[in-house]
Amino acid sequence: MRWKRSRKSEKEDRDLEKRLRKEVASELPPDLPPEVAARVRRRVEALIAEELAAAAQERAPRQLPQARGLEPQEETFQRFNLHFRIQHMILFTSVILLIVTGLPLKFPESPLGGLVWLLGGLDMSRILHRVGGSGLVVVGVYHVAYTLFHPDGRRDFWLLLPRPKDAFDAIQAIRFNLGLAGSKPRFDRFSYIEKFDYWAVYWGCVIMIGSGALLWFETLSLAYLPKFMLDIAKEAHSDEALLATLAIVIWHFYNVHFNPSRFPGSMTWWTGRISKHEMIEEHPLEYERIMAARKLLERNEDQARKKGSAAAGS
Amino acid sequence: MDSRLGKSCMGAISPFPEQEGATPVLVEGRCSAWWPRSPTKPGAWHLKVACLLAGAALFLGGESSAAPPLSEQRCMICHGKHGFKKVDESGAVRLLWVDLALLKSSVHRNKTCTDCHHDVVEIPHKERPARVYCRRCHYKDNPAGAPSSDAYLEYERSVHGRALAAGETKAPVCQSCHGNHDILHTRNPKSRVARGQVAATCGRCHLEEYSQYRNSVHGRAVYELGVRDAPDCTGCHGEHSIMAVSDPGSRVGALNVARTCASCHGDEAIMARYGIEADQVETFEESFHGIGVRFGSKRVANCASCHGTHDIRPSDDPGSSVNPANIPRTCGKCHPGANPNYARGKIHINPKIREAGIVYWVATFFKYLTLVTIAALIMHILLDLWRRFKDRGAPA
Repeated sequence: MRWKRSRKSEKEDRDLEKRLRKEVASELPPDLPPEVAARVRRRVEALIAEELAAAAQERAPRQLPQARGLEPQEETFQRFNLHFRIQHMILFTSVILLIVTGLPLKFPESPLGGLVWLLGGLDMSRILHRVGGSGLVVVGVYHVAYTLFHPDGRRDFWLLLPRPKDAFDAIQAIRFNLGLAGSKPRFDRFSYIEKFDYWAVYWGCVIMIGSGALLWFETLSLAYLPKFMLDIAKEAHSDEALLATLAIVIWHFYNVHFNPSRFPGSMTWWTGRISKHEMIEEHPLEYERIMAARKLLERNEDQARKKGSAAAGS
Repeated sequence: MDSRLGKSCMGAISPFPEQEGATPVLVEGRCSAWWPRSPTKPGAWHLKVACLLAGAALFLGGESSAAPPLSEQRCMICHGKHGFKKVDESGAVRLLWVDLALLKSSVHRNKTCTDCHHDVVEIPHKERPARVYCRRCHYKDNPAGAPSSDAYLEYERSVHGRALAAGETKAPVCQSCHGNHDILHTRNPKSRVARGQVAATCGRCHLEEYSQYRNSVHGRAVYELGVRDAPDCTGCHGEHSIMAVSDPGSRVGALNVARTCASCHGDEAIMARYGIEADQVETFEESFHGIGVRFGSKRVANCASCHGTHDIRPSDDPGSSVNPANIPRTCGKCHPGANPNYARGKIHINPKIREAGIVYWVATFFKYLTLVTIAALIMHILLDLWRRFKDRGAPA
């Protein structure tokens, strides 16, 4: 498959390829005979190309049914794999359940208190809250396992770790919005906004599951802990719940659904894919990496073809 | 026709007498339709027909059969004698002496005997007069000058009134609590239903509750310290409207008792007088127990579940159910395996005040974390929106 490229992006690809080749070469011991070094270089390049081919396959445009007579679609990129989408769906189902059964208990005097009756009374509300809590535990375990054992999980976790660049990006974004910086920060796979979302959920899950479990099994907790520990758990549970709810409703919803470029909402949570436009706009560094990998792959294919035809000719 | 016909029963004459078939008469001087002992309930059309008949009977026979009122001097001929008594068929001795001085010092000092014992129309009377029926005068907007009150309607719905209606002979009627000839004004400290007296009055039947109450913090406040704000029986249970604790309308039922306690314990002015914390009600309402009560759970602990009912004592009293030493047993009623850990930390904890210790600091930490985080996020969003709208008109 061929991709059309602009002159500029072609130049960028060439630069990146040059850099990669230099890196591969520089890591070889200098005392290696040149023909051995060349062989090693070819082998390493072939291995990289193989891996990149698999990645490119995954990011290939989705085949849309031709019968529907749709216009050829813009290329899309996979952002979330099926595992991640399932995790996210369990997470938001649980969180919605937890919010609608939990907030009325935090504000029983407000109209929110009516939700308890709407859901079938306090006993039903308690059961639903515990179903939601169990969902959160399930997704927590699932996610930790995914992070440990799935290559995408490991890669994403690595990319999600906070770096100094995130702080600089945040400052640059604010400066840009204020008109003090000329350009927007260029993000990799995860921007500082997305990293904040991710780690907020991490922190939230630790607090909510920890304190929630103490309160759920209060007889067991009190067998080992003094009562004021449960008071702390209750306070933390209640306060963190409010913070999480506000962060989701205000921050998360704005950034992924309600901001003017996404309004009225994004379907990435369902399809797992984002458009090329969004990719270039919001994750330019990741886009460049993918493009460089494709370039390398193509070159390797070309080389292999040339070699094959040369062998056939001799 | 019964000569007593025409005696006032506030104009409402029972159409369904107990003995005399369909003829509308007063029976034993009371309206059987109102008197709870009547087993019959009049139907609507029966009532209309009966009222017509009653009106006719009044018109025709009322004038001639009305007897002149008897003076109390004539009653006192017999009832004024010390030791005047009667032995009835069962052999029980009934003292029939009436201390006229008591009546004359009571709220009914201006009434004569037949104002209440109106079924006595001749002397000597042949039959035992019926039990005095207070409602003859004591109803709202009565012309007799009695206090205008619907208390008897409340009584009818109360646990006592219902017991009486159900045929319980021991159920108290007005006289059981207020007395007979010696009724004093409620504000008179010697009244049987006055503050400091009413508990003993209730205790005549509810002896165990009385003895518990008498040694409780409330009972001792009333009896030993004369604290005017401390509740006696009626302070919590109500007066004429006392309901069974299982009744949803009961002031001391599982879902209402917190509100009843709150009428004093949520009042900062009252609590300040005795150096008691007034946030007990608020902290309860915000606890899981309080939220459970708010949403209608009868299983969840209310004030009385932990503090007791008639036997409430201050927490430093070793006999108190909320004394730290007794907390495991008290909590253990609902939380199996409760241990001294349950007493490690304040129960009525208010995270908003510094006295809450570490819980206050946790609450404060989250308060500022939430404020700062959400403010920063909103600022970030507004800044982003501002830039987007500014760029909208500009060329890309």
